[in-house]
Amino acid sequence: MEESVIIKKARQGDNRALSKLVNSYSERIYNLALRILRNKEDAEDVLQETFLNAIENLSTFNERSSFFTWIYRIATNASLMKLRRKKVVYTEYLDHPDFEGNRNEKYLADWSQDPAVHIDEKEVKRILDQAINDLSEIYRAVFILRDVEDLSIKETGKILDISEENVKIRLRRARIFLRDRLAEYFSERVNT
Amino acid sequence: MSQHQHSPDLIKQICDQMGADLHAPACREVEEHLKKCPDCQIYFNTVKKTVAWCRDLEEKQAIPSQIRNRLLKKLHLDK
Repeated sequence: MEESVIIKKARQGDNRALSKLVNSYSERIYNLALRILRNKEDAEDVLQETFLNAIENLSTFNERSSFFTWIYRIATNASLMKLRRKKVVYTEYLDHPDFEGNRNEKYLADWSQDPAVHIDEKEVKRILDQAINDLSEIYRAVFILRDVEDLSIKETGKILDISEENVKIRLRRARIFLRDRLAEYFSERVNT
Repeated sequence: MSQHQHSPDLIKQICDQMGADLHAPACREVEEHLKKCPDCQIYFNTVKKTVAWCRDLEEKQAIPSQIRNRLLKKLHLDK
Protein backbone atom coordinates (compact mmCIF):
# COMPACT_ATOMS: atom_id res chain seq x y z
CA MET A 1 0.00 0.00 0.00
CA GLU A 2 1.37 3.43 -0.90
CA GLU A 3 2.29 5.73 1.95
CA SER A 4 -0.17 8.43 0.86
CA VAL A 5 -3.01 5.87 1.13
CA ILE A 6 -1.79 4.76 4.57
CA ILE A 7 -1.70 8.39 5.72
CA LYS A 8 -5.20 8.99 4.36
CA LYS A 9 -6.54 5.97 6.25
CA ALA A 10 -4.62 6.97 9.40
CA ARG A 11 -6.25 10.40 9.23
CA GLN A 12 -9.63 8.67 9.26
CA GLY A 13 -8.63 6.92 12.48
CA ASP A 14 -7.75 3.54 10.99
CA ASN A 15 -5.60 1.88 13.68
CA ARG A 16 -3.99 -0.57 11.26
CA ALA A 17 -2.78 2.32 9.13
CA LEU A 18 -1.51 4.13 12.22
CA SER A 19 0.34 1.01 13.31
CA LYS A 20 1.98 0.82 9.90
CA LEU A 21 3.23 4.39 10.20
CA VAL A 22 4.51 3.70 13.71
CA ASN A 23 6.29 0.55 12.52
CA SER A 24 7.84 2.34 9.56
CA TYR A 25 9.23 5.31 11.45
CA SER A 26 9.66 4.40 15.11
CA GLU A 27 13.15 2.93 14.85
CA ARG A 28 14.55 5.89 12.92
CA ILE A 29 12.94 8.35 15.30
CA TYR A 30 14.20 6.51 18.36
CA ASN A 31 17.73 6.52 16.94
CA LEU A 32 17.54 10.19 15.97
CA ALA A 33 16.43 11.14 19.50
CA LEU A 34 19.06 8.89 21.05
CA ARG A 35 21.78 10.49 18.94
CA ILE A 36 20.70 14.02 19.79
CA LEU A 37 19.95 13.42 23.47
CA ARG A 38 22.48 10.64 24.24
CA ASN A 39 20.16 9.14 26.83
CA LYS A 40 17.72 6.21 26.46
CA GLU A 41 15.01 7.50 28.80
CA ASP A 42 14.93 10.88 27.05
CA ALA A 43 14.88 9.18 23.65
CA GLU A 44 11.87 7.12 24.73
CA ASP A 45 10.05 10.27 25.87
CA VAL A 46 10.73 11.91 22.50
CA LEU A 47 9.58 8.81 20.64
CA GLN A 48 6.23 8.89 22.46
CA GLU A 49 5.83 12.67 22.20
CA THR A 50 6.57 12.58 18.48
CA PHE A 51 3.88 10.03 17.65
CA LEU A 52 1.31 11.59 20.00
CA ASN A 53 1.95 14.95 18.36
CA ALA A 54 1.94 13.49 14.84
CA ILE A 55 -1.33 11.62 15.36
CA GLU A 56 -2.99 14.67 16.88
CA ASN A 57 -1.88 16.89 14.02
CA LEU A 58 -2.08 14.44 11.13
CA SER A 59 -4.88 16.51 9.60
CA THR A 60 -2.45 19.44 9.24
CA PHE A 61 0.17 17.40 7.38
CA ASN A 62 0.67 19.08 4.07
CA GLU A 63 1.58 16.60 1.37
CA ARG A 64 3.81 19.11 -0.38
CA SER A 65 6.59 17.98 1.96
CA SER A 66 7.32 14.31 2.57
CA PHE A 67 5.89 12.56 5.61
CA PHE A 68 9.45 11.67 6.56
CA THR A 69 10.51 15.35 6.68
CA TRP A 70 7.36 16.27 8.58
CA ILE A 71 7.72 13.64 11.30
CA TYR A 72 11.48 14.14 11.51
CA ARG A 73 10.86 17.83 12.13
CA ILE A 74 8.50 16.98 15.00
CA ALA A 75 11.03 14.55 16.47
CA THR A 76 13.96 16.97 16.10
CA ASN A 77 12.00 19.81 17.71
CA ALA A 78 10.95 17.58 20.59
CA SER A 79 14.56 16.51 21.11
CA LEU A 80 15.85 20.08 21.01
CA MET A 81 13.15 21.22 23.41
CA LYS A 82 14.24 18.52 25.84
CA LEU A 83 17.87 19.60 25.50
CA ARG A 84 16.93 23.22 26.17
CA ARG A 85 15.04 22.24 29.30
CA LYS A 86 18.23 20.73 30.71
CA LYS A 87 19.73 24.22 30.70
CA VAL A 88 23.27 22.98 30.22
CA VAL A 89 25.82 25.72 29.54
CA TYR A 90 27.56 24.93 26.27
CA THR A 91 30.84 26.09 24.83
CA GLU A 92 30.10 29.60 23.62
CA TYR A 93 33.23 30.19 21.60
CA LEU A 94 31.73 28.16 18.77
CA ASP A 95 29.27 31.01 18.21
CA HIS A 96 32.04 33.53 17.67
CA PRO A 97 31.95 34.71 14.02
CA ASP A 98 35.70 34.12 13.67
CA PHE A 99 35.69 30.60 15.06
CA GLU A 100 37.70 28.43 12.67
CA GLY A 101 39.17 25.84 15.01
CA ASN A 102 42.58 25.35 16.47
CA ARG A 103 45.38 25.63 13.94
CA ASN A 104 48.15 25.56 16.46
CA GLU A 105 51.02 23.37 15.19
CA LYS A 106 50.55 21.05 18.13
CA TYR A 107 47.15 20.14 16.72
CA LEU A 108 48.37 19.55 13.19
CA ALA A 109 49.65 16.01 13.59
CA ASP A 110 48.26 13.68 10.94
CA TRP A 111 46.40 10.99 12.81
CA SER A 112 44.03 10.38 9.93
CA GLN A 113 46.33 7.91 8.22
CA ASP A 114 49.45 7.53 10.28
CA PRO A 115 49.77 3.75 10.82
CA ALA A 116 52.03 4.42 13.79
CA VAL A 117 49.19 5.98 15.71
CA HIS A 118 47.64 3.51 18.06
CA ILE A 119 43.89 3.94 17.86
CA ASP A 120 42.07 2.97 21.01
CA GLU A 121 38.53 2.73 19.64
CA LYS A 122 36.91 2.85 23.07
CA GLU A 123 38.83 5.98 23.94
CA VAL A 124 37.98 7.64 20.59
CA LYS A 125 34.31 6.78 21.16
CA ARG A 126 34.44 8.25 24.66
CA ILE A 127 36.05 11.48 23.45
CA LEU A 128 33.64 11.89 20.55
CA ASP A 129 30.66 11.07 22.75
CA GLN A 130 31.71 13.73 25.24
CA ALA A 131 32.47 16.22 22.45
CA ILE A 132 29.04 15.73 20.83
CA ASN A 133 27.53 16.21 24.29
CA ASP A 134 29.38 19.51 24.56
CA LEU A 135 27.95 20.80 21.26
CA SER A 136 25.08 23.18 21.81
CA GLU A 137 21.77 22.20 20.27
CA ILE A 138 22.04 24.31 17.10
CA TYR A 139 25.31 22.64 16.09
CA ARG A 140 24.46 19.21 17.42
CA ALA A 141 21.21 18.91 15.46
CA VAL A 142 22.86 19.89 12.17
CA PHE A 143 25.77 17.50 12.71
CA ILE A 144 23.55 14.55 13.65
CA LEU A 145 21.07 15.10 10.81
CA ARG A 146 23.67 15.70 8.11
CA ASP A 147 26.71 13.66 9.08
CA VAL A 148 25.26 10.82 11.14
CA GLU A 149 21.75 10.41 9.72
CA ASP A 150 23.18 11.16 6.26
CA LEU A 151 20.41 13.56 5.22
CA SER A 152 21.19 16.10 2.53
CA ILE A 153 21.97 19.73 3.34
CA LYS A 154 18.60 20.64 1.81
CA GLU A 155 16.66 18.12 3.94
CA THR A 156 18.56 19.18 7.07
CA GLY A 157 17.66 22.81 6.38
CA LYS A 158 13.99 21.93 5.85
CA ILE A 159 13.79 19.94 9.08
CA LEU A 160 15.43 22.68 11.14
CA ASP A 161 13.75 25.48 9.21
CA ILE A 162 17.04 27.20 8.43
CA SER A 163 18.75 28.11 5.14
CA GLU A 164 21.18 25.77 3.41
CA GLU A 165 23.90 28.36 3.95
CA ASN A 166 23.22 28.26 7.67
CA VAL A 167 23.36 24.46 7.66
CA LYS A 168 26.81 24.63 6.06
CA ILE A 169 28.12 27.19 8.55
CA ARG A 170 26.90 25.23 11.57
CA LEU A 171 28.10 21.95 10.08
CA ARG A 172 31.57 23.33 9.46
CA ARG A 173 31.84 24.62 13.02
CA ALA A 174 30.57 21.38 14.53
CA ARG A 175 32.98 19.30 12.44
CA ILE A 176 35.94 21.50 13.35
CA PHE A 177 34.98 21.48 17.04
CA LEU A 178 34.86 17.67 17.10
CA ARG A 179 38.05 17.41 15.07
CA ASP A 180 39.88 19.69 17.50
CA ARG A 181 38.80 17.54 20.45
CA LEU A 182 40.34 14.49 18.81
CA ALA A 183 43.40 16.51 17.78
CA GLU A 184 43.99 17.38 21.44
CA TYR A 185 43.96 13.70 22.31
CA PHE A 186 46.15 12.60 19.40
CA SER A 187 48.64 15.45 19.71
CA GLU A 188 50.20 13.58 22.61
CA ARG A 189 50.32 10.30 20.74
CA VAL A 190 51.62 11.17 17.28
CA ASN A 191 55.36 11.55 16.63
CA THR A 192 56.29 10.96 20.25
CA MET B 1 46.69 25.88 8.67
CA SER B 2 49.25 28.67 8.58
CA GLN B 3 47.13 31.59 7.47
CA HIS B 4 49.96 33.83 6.23
CA GLN B 5 50.31 31.81 3.01
CA HIS B 6 46.61 31.94 2.18
CA SER B 7 44.59 34.60 0.50
CA PRO B 8 41.28 35.46 2.21
CA ASP B 9 39.43 34.06 -0.82
CA LEU B 10 41.21 30.75 -0.55
CA ILE B 11 40.58 30.52 3.19
CA LYS B 12 36.91 31.16 2.53
CA GLN B 13 36.81 28.43 -0.10
CA ILE B 14 38.55 25.95 2.20
CA CYS B 15 36.16 26.81 5.01
CA ASP B 16 33.15 26.48 2.70
CA GLN B 17 34.39 23.06 1.71
CA MET B 18 34.55 22.01 5.38
CA GLY B 19 30.82 22.63 5.66
CA ALA B 20 29.93 20.94 2.39
CA ASP B 21 30.02 17.35 1.19
CA LEU B 22 33.53 16.29 2.21
CA HIS B 23 33.68 13.63 -0.47
CA ALA B 24 32.52 15.76 -3.36
CA PRO B 25 35.30 16.85 -5.67
CA ALA B 26 36.48 20.01 -3.93
CA CYS B 27 36.55 23.10 -6.09
CA ARG B 28 39.61 23.02 -8.31
CA GLU B 29 41.44 25.79 -6.51
CA VAL B 30 41.01 24.13 -3.11
CA GLU B 31 42.00 20.75 -4.50
CA GLU B 32 45.15 22.17 -6.07
CA HIS B 33 45.98 23.97 -2.86
CA LEU B 34 45.56 20.86 -0.72
CA LYS B 35 48.09 19.05 -2.92
CA LYS B 36 50.68 21.70 -2.22
CA CYS B 37 49.95 22.61 1.39
CA PRO B 38 50.63 19.81 3.89
CA ASP B 39 49.08 21.73 6.80
CA CYS B 40 45.77 22.25 5.03
CA GLN B 41 45.81 18.69 3.75
CA ILE B 42 46.27 17.31 7.28
CA TYR B 43 43.57 19.61 8.61
CA PHE B 44 41.15 18.57 5.90
CA ASN B 45 41.93 14.85 6.24
CA THR B 46 41.55 14.89 10.02
CA VAL B 47 38.15 16.60 9.71
CA LYS B 48 37.10 13.89 7.26
CA LYS B 49 38.39 11.15 9.54
CA THR B 50 36.52 12.62 12.53
CA VAL B 51 33.25 12.60 10.59
CA ALA B 52 33.88 9.03 9.41
CA TRP B 53 34.49 7.88 12.99
CA CYS B 54 31.36 9.60 14.24
CA ARG B 55 29.31 7.78 11.61
CA ASP B 56 30.84 4.44 12.57
CA LEU B 57 30.49 4.96 16.29
CA GLU B 58 26.89 6.14 16.23
CA GLU B 59 25.60 2.74 15.24
CA LYS B 60 21.90 2.19 14.72
CA GLN B 61 20.12 0.51 17.62
CA ALA B 62 17.00 -1.61 17.51
CA ILE B 63 14.21 -0.35 19.76
CA PRO B 64 14.12 -2.50 22.90
CA SER B 65 10.85 -4.46 23.01
CA GLN B 66 9.75 -2.85 26.30
CA ILE B 67 10.09 0.61 24.75
CA ARG B 68 8.14 -0.48 21.67
CA ASN B 69 5.41 -2.00 23.84
CA ARG B 70 5.11 1.13 25.99
CA LEU B 71 4.85 3.25 22.82
CA LEU B 72 2.05 1.11 21.38
CA LYS B 73 0.23 1.21 24.72
CA LYS B 74 0.56 5.00 24.92
CA LEU B 75 -0.88 5.30 21.41
CA HIS B 76 -3.66 2.76 22.18
CA LEU B 77 -2.36 0.56 19.40
CA ASP B 78 -1.54 -2.41 21.61
CA LYS B 79 -4.72 -4.38 21.03
